[in-house]
Amino acid sequence: MLSSSTDNELVARAVSGQDTAAFGELIRRHQSHVRNFLRKLAGDYTLADDLAQDCFMHAWDKLQSYSGRGSFIGWLLKVAYTTFLQSKRKSKRYAEILESAGQVADQESRNAVQPNEEVSDLDKYLAVLTEEERAIMVMSYACGLSHREIGDATDMPVGTVKSVIFRGKEKIRNSFEIKDHQHG
Amino acid sequence: MKSKIINMAEKIKDAEDRLLESLFESPPLADDGFSAAVVRKVNRQLWFRRLTLPVATAIGAAIAFKPLAALVHTLANFSALIPEDIVIGATSSIPQFQTIVLGAILLVVGLVSMRMLEH
Repeated sequence: MLSSSTDNELVARAVSGQDTAAFGELIRRHQSHVRNFLRKLAGDYTLADDLAQDCFMHAWDKLQSYSGRGSFIGWLLKVAYTTFLQSKRKSKRYAEILESAGQVADQESRNAVQPNEEVSDLDKYLAVLTEEERAIMVMSYACGLSHREIGDATDMPVGTVKSVIFRGKEKIRNSFEIKDHQHG
Repeated sequence: MKSKIINMAEKIKDAEDRLLESLFESPPLADDGFSAAVVRKVNRQLWFRRLTLPVATAIGAAIAFKPLAALVHTLANFSALIPEDIVIGATSSIPQFQTIVLGAILLVVGLVSMRMLEH
């Protein structure tokens, strides 16, 4: 029954009757996209999965604000992106406090990438992008969102989204060239 | 000629977009209890929110009971201080005098108790 319902029907059920089963079905449908999006943004799988949980908790709280215009996954990725930015701000504040307490070296060692962690080609290409470019490129190429949906998710005009994608592509193209030169 | 250039540009763009899509592509992640864990959290939060108001009201009422009882007692003593002829005179001119006084006392007690419960 739930699996045959549309996203909008499930949202309506979850909002009107506080139906957690309907919300559970929404999570099952979209968890992969949200977790993959956050994994690419955060670069840390454990942190990304924690953020994905927070994202769905925020989504539950804000579910009545989803108007039904645009795709539900677009709205969900907006919540995920906001959750990610909030977490970044919090950890930045925490780092500042630690820095003032003279503990920055310890924190850095905890945040460092483990030597046995695999760094994929995509990780290298994402590394050349800014946080904003990364989010928009991932929304566009990994999640298949339209420019309008990305604009809604990031509160940016469609023209700006297009130019960010253009810039991101250029940077990735250049890093491909750098790689080719290195190998050639 | 111009349209050929545009078509070529679109083809180049498409190829690049396809390349980027394959680059950004990730295999779908298995749920592995993720959604169940979030739903459990949501249910816990719902129960917590449902219980918060009645529990807070009960605690507030328990805390406020003693001072409220003292307040009612004081007000009862205060009404006894009003000279009887004033009460009789007021009752004869305003037949609903006792109801008004009772209403005023209840209003004051109600406001004070609301404040105490809030605190």
